Amino acid sequence: MENERAREKLIKWAVKSPLTYRLLRPVLDLLTRKNDNEPFKIWVRFLLDAMNNSYARKQPVVWMSAFTPSEIAYGMGYVPFMPEIIASVVTYLGKSKGPIALANAYASSDLCSFHRCALGLVMEDYLPKPDLIISSSYLCEGANKFFHYLASYYRCPHLMVDAPYRGGSAAKKYVADQLKELVDKSSRLLGLVPDMSVMSQALELSNKARAYIAEINRLRRSRPSPFPGSEGLSYLAGMVFYSLGSKWGVDFFKTLHLSLEQKVAKGEGYLPEEKYRLLWLHHIRPYYKNEIFKILEEKKAAVSFEETNYLYWPALEPSKPYESLADKIISNIWAGSLERRVHAIEEMVEEYDIDGVIHFSHWGCRQSCGGAAVVGDVLKQKGLPYIVLPGDGADPDNFSPGQTRTRLEALIEMLG
Amino acid sequence: MGKRIYAGIDIGSLSSEAVILRENGILGYSVRNTGADPQRVAQECMEEALARANVAKEDVLSIVATGYGRIRVPFADREITEITCHAKGAHFLFPETRTVIDIGGQDSKVITLDERGAVTDFAMNDRCAAGTGRFLEVMATALETKLSELGQRSLEAKKGVPISSMCTVFAESEVISLIAEGKRREEIMRGLHEAISSRVYRMAKKLRVKKEITFTGGVAKNQGIVKVLEVLFKMPVNVPDEPQIVGALGAALYARSAGPRAR
Repeated sequence: MENERAREKLIKWAVKSPLTYRLLRPVLDLLTRKNDNEPFKIWVRFLLDAMNNSYARKQPVVWMSAFTPSEIAYGMGYVPFMPEIIASVVTYLGKSKGPIALANAYASSDLCSFHRCALGLVMEDYLPKPDLIISSSYLCEGANKFFHYLASYYRCPHLMVDAPYRGGSAAKKYVADQLKELVDKSSRLLGLVPDMSVMSQALELSNKARAYIAEINRLRRSRPSPFPGSEGLSYLAGMVFYSLGSKWGVDFFKTLHLSLEQKVAKGEGYLPEEKYRLLWLHHIRPYYKNEIFKILEEKKAAVSFEETNYLYWPALEPSKPYESLADKIISNIWAGSLERRVHAIEEMVEEYDIDGVIHFSHWGCRQSCGGAAVVGDVLKQKGLPYIVLPGDGADPDNFSPGQTRTRLEALIEMLG
Repeated sequence: MGKRIYAGIDIGSLSSEAVILRENGILGYSVRNTGADPQRVAQECMEEALARANVAKEDVLSIVATGYGRIRVPFADREITEITCHAKGAHFLFPETRTVIDIGGQDSKVITLDERGAVTDFAMNDRCAAGTGRFLEVMATALETKLSELGQRSLEAKKGVPISSMCTVFAESEVISLIAEGKRREEIMRGLHEAISSRVYRMAKKLRVKKEITFTGGVAKNQGIVKVLEVLFKMPVNVPDEPQIVGALGAALYARSAGPRAR
């Protein structure tokens, strides 16, 4: 018992020490020197750097919900910390069950398991304390309440960006005004003077990354599919959420672009043989150990694209940060009317020459799964096989391997 | 010309079935409880079906396995999901079938199919076994009735007592409370049958249900469910003579259409 307590204390100390992440960097570089997945290695280095900065606390640490533009944090010189992304990493490392179980004692089990995982980590005091929390009203309804609760837990200020249901110039102004207010308020709260040239630089970096994302997405139309959907739903999506506005983002997307360019030139697919091309709907997949992508691989079905990586926003204007980030926010296809999302999905089906569609249904997630039936109706009318795959992104106890296999295999059998 | 004999085996969560098929129809079949060892029951089921069909194992040209335990049948040449196999089997027995309702031990499914018997869409229950064969087994025990009599007795009631819970555990408590309140058992049974059927009906509404509907799986033996489904869907429901073997039959039909295994 004493040993167990000492072990836990040591682990917590290591997790919270910036030194751990600085030491891990050369160790992981050495261990992965033969791994030629350069983009993945950049993701790992990015995470280590983010953790180092978050625990070192040399700059203000600002917790952000995943859909809040990270450019704001980089542009303000804050260290962004995204608990939802960290929860997915913790899940990937097989450590989500404990925090979720702990959070279940305080939160409804209907709450998103990524939020419950993060809550458990908060309660166990594993995460760096926030100086400020920023969240957005889109597209996850639960996120604002979750972050509001965390703000009261940590007794730190909470600022929120509210996005209207419909777009247009009034909506853009409404969001742009809020962003300006957010920058002013957060600077006041944190005792900083905003440097708008740094903000412009962040937007320029975001634009550079965006240009590579556009090229990556174009390359992913190739047959065979050059990039695994399972990775598109993990570190690629993670970098879209977390790194835009930083040099890391440019480096990552540039490297991924180069790698895909080479693969496409050689005609290399990520599967040994590709018979079917699938589209994955929803922003996430289960990150704990599971056989979803192995089953699909056995059936020669590639997840050729994921809607989460759809490039929905126009290039930003560095001289007009508030207006162009407002544009980015109101262009989000998952916020507002479902029609916009459906049109984008139809476009993806066309562009990626999709044979079948999987809509992952993450437990407790209303924003995306609420539209699953409507999306299905539209796709089925086009004669496209479509399944809703119920599961849970973070909680391995809320996953049925047998039923999942049956649904996936039945989809493939429908493809003929 | 060889004997052209094919087999299908369906390893379900509660029961397992094997069907031996010849060009002109079913030669023999067997139905067994799956128990804790699906691999062993697959072997026993196949041996029993072969014995009943009076066929030697060596004469079977190809075997397809289906059901949740399909990946645990070492002697199968191919695995196909029960969704695809139930559609095929139902279409073979009732060629005008365009919708299949399959309620098995722990799963319920609604499947739509085309004129060739190929699946066009499906819906299935999610995670829990509410409204399936296992649910009825537990309720029959709570009502101190044989499972085989549950459906018939439910038809003796003019109206059902509403059952609010579909969780097997909570519904069992609810049934016990209703008995204690003095409600007629037949009315409770009818209420249970209505609750299960409504659940399946709601699932079916996600799809484009077309006639004819064929009801497969062990629960199709329950006349009480059949009658309520006919009322809900406003059309007659086909029930095969042996609804439990439809998945295995579909598997055997796929074995036949694929031809002999590579030797």
